[in-house]
Amino acid sequence: MAIYRRSYKPYTGTLTPAWSRWLVLFRYSRRDVFRSKVQTALFTICFFYPLLCLAFIYLAHNISFLAQIGVSGDLISIDNTFFFRLLAVQGVLAFLLTAFVGPGLISPDLANGALPLYFCRPFSRAEYLVGKSSVLAITLSQITWIPALILFAIQAGFAGPRWAWNNLWIAGSLIVGSLIWIAILSLLAMALSAWVKWRIVAGALLLAVMFFGAGFGQAINAVLRTQTGYFLNLAYLMSTVWSDLFGIDSEHWISVGDAWIALLLYCGICLFLLMRKVRAYEVVR
Amino acid sequence: MSDRIVFEDVSKFYGEILGVNRVNLAIPPGITSLVGPNGSGKTTLMNLMTGLVRPSRGKIQVLGYRTDDPENLFKIVGYSTQFDAFPKGLTGFQFLYSYLQLSGRDSQTAEQLAWRAIERVNLVDDATRNIAGYSKGMRQRIRLAQALAHDPKVLVLDEPLNGLDPLARSEMIAVFRAAAERGCYVIISSHILHEVDVISDQVILLSNGYVVAEGQIQNVRSEIQEHPTQILIRCTRPRDLAAKMIESELASEVTIHNDNRGLLLKTRNADNFYLALNQLALNGIEIESVTPADDDVLSVYEYLIGNEEVAR
Repeated sequence: MAIYRRSYKPYTGTLTPAWSRWLVLFRYSRRDVFRSKVQTALFTICFFYPLLCLAFIYLAHNISFLAQIGVSGDLISIDNTFFFRLLAVQGVLAFLLTAFVGPGLISPDLANGALPLYFCRPFSRAEYLVGKSSVLAITLSQITWIPALILFAIQAGFAGPRWAWNNLWIAGSLIVGSLIWIAILSLLAMALSAWVKWRIVAGALLLAVMFFGAGFGQAINAVLRTQTGYFLNLAYLMSTVWSDLFGIDSEHWISVGDAWIALLLYCGICLFLLMRKVRAYEVVR
Repeated sequence: MSDRIVFEDVSKFYGEILGVNRVNLAIPPGITSLVGPNGSGKTTLMNLMTGLVRPSRGKIQVLGYRTDDPENLFKIVGYSTQFDAFPKGLTGFQFLYSYLQLSGRDSQTAEQLAWRAIERVNLVDDATRNIAGYSKGMRQRIRLAQALAHDPKVLVLDEPLNGLDPLARSEMIAVFRAAAERGCYVIISSHILHEVDVISDQVILLSNGYVVAEGQIQNVRSEIQEHPTQILIRCTRPRDLAAKMIESELASEVTIHNDNRGLLLKTRNADNFYLALNQLALNGIEIESVTPADDDVLSVYEYLIGNEEVAR
């Protein structure tokens, strides 16, 4: 047996709080997202419609200017429908941005077998998922509910506190509606990214889930003469929930409660798939 | 706090696939090598002691810490996996720096520790280059650096010498030795048996998920009864010595060297053989050297595992 001097001294300095370590992952993943010119350009495009909405809000409160150009002030109405349309447009852009950003979050780590490197630290699977999903959650928030709330605040500034108080529920709807869409998109993108190791295929699959899901749902409805196919149409489920949140009168084939349950179920399935795949080891049978 | 890495009746099954079965070990400080063919359970054993997989049965403690307590365990454990895996787009320095931050070091400490680890593996000149452009040996070294960087007491290294040229190998072995000499636990798995033999204080031999032997290699060899011990003797009158050994029934087989200055003996009773050899030396045969010829890892591996491999 060798004789050792045993001069080893462990690290005795302070450690950063455990809750903050997912931010390391967020910083590096976020930097990767904006390293791509295409993704940066797409992110920039996502602000065009909110800027257009800002112009509409300004015009709606400048009747003299509208009169000069011969437009009636009644044509521009800043109400629940205005914010519903804003969220619908931003929702589509959020989906497109997710299709580019999402697949690159987990699949490279899995394809390279890099997960054990993360998990041989004081760092759990849940923290890994929080770190990765926060990139999407924060980026998508920047193009959905954050600009929407800014516009709401500007409108409230023009229209006065009475309008703000009477329409405060719209602000709540903007936040809740955005967050559920962000949760669905983030979890779906990450689950597909975890199960399909090729980034491009995972991106294509995300588009397929959205578009083919809708098409397949319609086919089921037509062939079986039922409405259950709508449960496969994520966009339809989301628009049902949004319509209810914004008080928009429209005809729906499934109830709002069922749509909420279906969306939460999708979130649960994605989480289950993620937890199955995001592991420190992989058994090759 | 315990000063051993302890496995108590540990088994791990991946569904129906056996990882390791009924492992009982108490690993002391120093360099311990895990030796065994592919699929014998080396990586599973390493994953178990780092908490990356949970045992199906049994209990593991690393210097008193439970393996399902990563916050404390990874303060003292550094792991380098066998995968040639790196997060995309990072330089060598960024790789170490980011993982040190994940280990809870603030940015200033992380920077200091990252550079220190890079110096230890001799990669200072290439630290700011993207890892994707590294050679295999450099990638192996930067992975070793990430395991060393937070100064762990237990270093678990899966195939750390793979892909390294002879110079880099000797540099890495020096790093292992330095860690062991400071009282650290260095657990290595390797297929390069002659290197395992040179660097290890103790070995753990695995086959088909079972530990077939553990301890210092000489002790393991002495317990293998079915294979006679081989002893190499350099002397002046090898034929006389061979005749006397055969006559006294202490040698079961003797081969005289071509240069007529030595012989290779096989004996089943090494202790009595050495006593008899002393007597012969006193009776006029000049003995230059006596060297055991099969108490190395290679021989022990061949005796304990080699036959199974052939049979399979």
